[in-house]
Amino acid sequence: MIDQIFGVWNYWIVFILMMIGLYIVISKKSLLKKIVGLAIFQTSVFLLYITFGKIAGGTAPILTDNLNEIYSNPLPHVLILTAIVVGVATTALGLALTVRINKAYGTINEDEISASDLVEYHEKYLEDKK
Amino acid sequence: MIGEIIINAFLVTLMLTIAIFIINTRKVISTILLTGTYSLVAALMFVSLDAVDVAFTEASVGAGISTILFLAALSYLPKEEKEEKFNVKHIYAICTCIIVAGLLIWASYDLPLVGQLENPVHQNLAQDFIEGSRNHIGIPNVVTSILASYRGYDTFGETVVIYTAGIAVLVLLYDGVSKTSKIHKENNK
Repeated sequence: MIDQIFGVWNYWIVFILMMIGLYIVISKKSLLKKIVGLAIFQTSVFLLYITFGKIAGGTAPILTDNLNEIYSNPLPHVLILTAIVVGVATTALGLALTVRINKAYGTINEDEISASDLVEYHEKYLEDKK
Repeated sequence: MIGEIIINAFLVTLMLTIAIFIINTRKVISTILLTGTYSLVAALMFVSLDAVDVAFTEASVGAGISTILFLAALSYLPKEEKEEKFNVKHIYAICTCIIVAGLLIWASYDLPLVGQLENPVHQNLAQDFIEGSRNHIGIPNVVTSILASYRGYDTFGETVVIYTAGIAVLVLLYDGVSKTSKIHKENNK
């Protein structure tokens, strides 16, 4: 019974962390907070992959002299190494976009950005009418 | 086994607490520092799941470099978020997240149990890579030999992605006229 619960426990935690990340991305108005939410989502996906690679009673995949040693699966580790570095690249790009938006609009709050877009559109519309 | 479960439960509780605090903080600096802590705890979690290479990459890149990037961006951004009232949109978001989490947890019963040797993930390539790393490549660290040799093209592609991101960041932050060309123009006048 305990084995059954522990066997899926890690997956549940990963899913809950994933949903916390998704909630931040959906509901927060600050663009910086949204990037943080994406980072949380990403880390939880990494955790899911690493969980797949785990073997109970195995060791880290570094070869020892003992030929009967059980090693955890190294393949997910390699995929996630690549994903972590690419994740930092996307974070940097997102932050650069946020800084650029702050320069253009003077705010990084989503509502204020769309409001000032609307005002600009109206002014243009009124000018065209004249 | 019991020790592993206790460590796992402790780290998981810590991660959940930090994530919930990240939702509620309005000061941007504490959001960023909490994110760094979250990455560090994730790195500990990777160690307890036998992924040591991933753990030190997460600790140096996830907790180190990305925190530095966030702090650098913060120097150009507002230091505090606008206060938000709890409204209908938040309820929609919470409902969506709970439904998706429920579906995923339901689906998790069809996944193989964690840590069993007979899981499909462990059946095919992994054993070949471990043997090959010992016999053909001769590096004790299997992750390194896969990363640099068997999956070398992936790593090359990753470098291209980082290069592209770097160029894109430079293009976004370049404000039209560089300082040297301004000085050059003033001298010509």
